[in-house]
Amino acid sequence: MGPAAAPAALTSQQLADIQGLILRSYKMPRIRGFVLRVDDPLAARSLLGRLAEGDSQVPAVRSAAPWQSKPEFCLNVGITFDGLRALRIPAKSLASFPEEFVAGAAGRAAEVGDTGKSAPEHWVGGLNTGQAHVLLSLSAQSDDVVSDVSRSLRAVFAASGAAELFFADGAMLPNFRAHFDYADGISQPKVAGAPAYKPDSAHSVELADPLDQVPLGAFVLGYESQHRGLLYPYPAPDALGRNGSFAALRILRQDCAAFERYLDQQSQALQVDRELIAAKLCGRWRNGVPLALSPDSGEPVALPREQWNNFDYSNDPQGARCPFGSHIRRNNPRNTPVSGNGGQRHRIMRRGLPYGPPFDPSNPDDGIERGLLGLFICGSLKDQFEFLMKHWVQDGDFIGMGEDRDPIVGNQPESGGRFRFRDTNGKRVTLRGMPSFVTTRGAAYCFLPSISALKWIAALG
Amino acid sequence: MTPAATPVTPAPEAAPRQNPLTLVMKIKSRADYNALVKLLTEMQSLPRDKNPIMVALDRIATVHFARFVFLGKTKLAVITTYDGSFEDYLNDFINVIGKIFDALLQHMADAPPLPVENNRQAFMEYVRANDLRCLGTFYSAYPKLGVKTILANAQDEE
Repeated sequence: MGPAAAPAALTSQQLADIQGLILRSYKMPRIRGFVLRVDDPLAARSLLGRLAEGDSQVPAVRSAAPWQSKPEFCLNVGITFDGLRALRIPAKSLASFPEEFVAGAAGRAAEVGDTGKSAPEHWVGGLNTGQAHVLLSLSAQSDDVVSDVSRSLRAVFAASGAAELFFADGAMLPNFRAHFDYADGISQPKVAGAPAYKPDSAHSVELADPLDQVPLGAFVLGYESQHRGLLYPYPAPDALGRNGSFAALRILRQDCAAFERYLDQQSQALQVDRELIAAKLCGRWRNGVPLALSPDSGEPVALPREQWNNFDYSNDPQGARCPFGSHIRRNNPRNTPVSGNGGQRHRIMRRGLPYGPPFDPSNPDDGIERGLLGLFICGSLKDQFEFLMKHWVQDGDFIGMGEDRDPIVGNQPESGGRFRFRDTNGKRVTLRGMPSFVTTRGAAYCFLPSISALKWIAALG
Repeated sequence: MTPAATPVTPAPEAAPRQNPLTLVMKIKSRADYNALVKLLTEMQSLPRDKNPIMVALDRIATVHFARFVFLGKTKLAVITTYDGSFEDYLNDFINVIGKIFDALLQHMADAPPLPVENNRQAFMEYVRANDLRCLGTFYSAYPKLGVKTILANAQDEE
């Protein structure tokens, strides 16, 4: 049998219909998220129609069409199931959405580990009230642009039957690190048929990636998914569902002081270098160099940045370099054998930026909240986002790690979590009493409609 | 005959990681029974690395034990103990072993539409409808351990 035929490239019409953030990272240094409540369905539907095309007062939703020159900002829109109901989408269409989306993030909290301090009762922004209806994501090149576009949008919210419940701002940190000081966003699925969006910001480089391209239907509704013969269920009619997607919005608080303190404690107790522990927890050194390629040093002599995603785990079947339980090996096992044999079939697209100022180790308990505004995009919330959270983050059996949870983002048991790895001499090291370093502060399941679906909703009258 | 529903379901907090599958499938005809005997005898007599069922189950790595049993000449039972939620792993399971079920189900009465790859939900509903599970509480000597962890622990011991 010869090599598989290259997937058909998406047409310019398809790209102009798919929201841009599904297929590309904008790589802009600022983000603002708005949470809106629909009070007047007719007026709000009209606003969605205006967002589809843009006008003198309302910017257009950014599509996946490649740009000639980088824009100042990109606006995208998501709608929760409560929002679709509030917009009075026809009952037949409402009934056609997948059950996990209908239940919403609060309804599915236990499935993904949002319990205890992460439970919906503690969420902010009205995200647990059933009133979070429409979410707008504004990525921008500067604070001034965020302010200007926000002013334009806010001027039309009230007149469009929409009340602003909440907004949250995120900003790129120095050296492109996330909180906990790891370089982030290095590995993203490559979607078959999508354009090769060229890096267009100073810090981004084209990373070599040995993993297979992911079929379009893993992220865009109406096409074959990564499972042969399966199109993920999508809403009817076709005009509403096709070219859409789903996303889990997550506001995740990160306890930087607790994280650094834990590294200190464990390093001292176990006599293991604290930066090695940090690297083992993540699977990458904090600068992004992967343990799979450089197990002993975060400053390898000959490993250009373009190669930092160019690996699988063929040379590390025992997890001696990159621990099975580490954050990146769990969430993207690559060719590691895992339960179900689906190590490359539950991938998600990650978007977002940190919130809060950089952590200052000399003033660890400054009382300032830090975290991540994250959007996790997939064709099936159940088969991708929830599967990953339930089996790969909140459990460890799939990769032979018993009940150990993700050491960085996992919601640990009350008694404290456990993490196991081998040190540079191959000696087993076990960390215990690990607290939860991340707390969910809010979440929402969104439908990301196509541009034509926004027009379809507006045309409901 | 429609299989009886499980009379008792253990409380979620007490539920072990493993689950029983007792899939009882009704064979279409004597000719289909004969074809199934031939098919399964041939497959099950192959060495492990050539037996497509065992190769597939090794790859899936959520199944602790599996066996086929003819119940007379009218039914075939597939009896397994597996980890986690069948529904959660449905797509992965079908990706690996769907073709084997196609070969079996073509001989069954009331089979779901085939191939199962293209009819995944119908396959799940068929399995649910024909799974007798077990009577009362499912016993496990090691309720917290899944296949992958047991294999990893065994490797550590070597």
